Amino acid sequence: MSLEELAFLALALVAIGTATAALLVRELVHTILWIAIFFVDLSAIYFLLSAPFLGVLQLGVYAGAVTILLLFGIMTTRKRIFSREAVTGIGPVPVALAVVTFIFLASALGELPQSTTAVQSYDPTALSQNLFGPNGPWLLLLGLIMLAGVAGAIYLVREGRE
Amino acid sequence: MTDLSLPGFLALSAALFGIGVFGILTRRNFILLLISIEIAMNAVILNFVYFAAFPAGTSGLSGQSIAVVLVGFAATEVAVGLAIVLALNRLKGTINVARATELKE
Repeated sequence: MSLEELAFLALALVAIGTATAALLVRELVHTILWIAIFFVDLSAIYFLLSAPFLGVLQLGVYAGAVTILLLFGIMTTRKRIFSREAVTGIGPVPVALAVVTFIFLASALGELPQSTTAVQSYDPTALSQNLFGPNGPWLLLLGLIMLAGVAGAIYLVREGRE
Repeated sequence: MTDLSLPGFLALSAALFGIGVFGILTRRNFILLLISIEIAMNAVILNFVYFAAFPAGTSGLSGQSIAVVLVGFAATEVAVGLAIVLALNRLKGTINVARATELKE
């Protein structure tokens, strides 16, 4: 087994472990800590796949902004941020549905080539040319739609609304 | 040059998506729901990056471009979701989604 495969195996185990822990721990603040580790781990996977631009984007947007936003949401919605969640009964049906989803997705893996191939890397310049060159106007339109979404979010939380 | 194989990565994505589905089905706290959606969405973004790294044709650059756009989308989604959390908390005093039943009937 090569060094890259070992690194991937370790990163995959950390990703699955932290994602599960984030959903199972009872203190919400601990959930945020686990999910931050999860995002940093995914960023490492992007670097392993020779996608450094996406790795940095993942660090900045997810591990930075999204984590802090979620922490902010927890801090504003409860009196004591370390208070525990009530235990939710984890019934057999949701677990079974999640397992069925996994098996359904994993069942297609056998048809793919199992051999190891070289990871193709791209120059970030080529990526930005692909993003902003021919599809630039559509990307700007997308930005406008997201701006409308954020404006709607501000409308939802503005003061004096009953 | 790194040599890796595609099926292991796809298995990781499938597992992460399964964990996200599990969280969406079991947790009743709105913030935990948002986190579950983020885990499932990250699994999807990972898939795009895999197929860019192991392209069937000559170039898989579109996969990475779509991944960049999806990361932006996910950030907007969290912003809107947190606005809903704050509005729900102000209106009901709780962020348990099982209590938010105003739109029933």
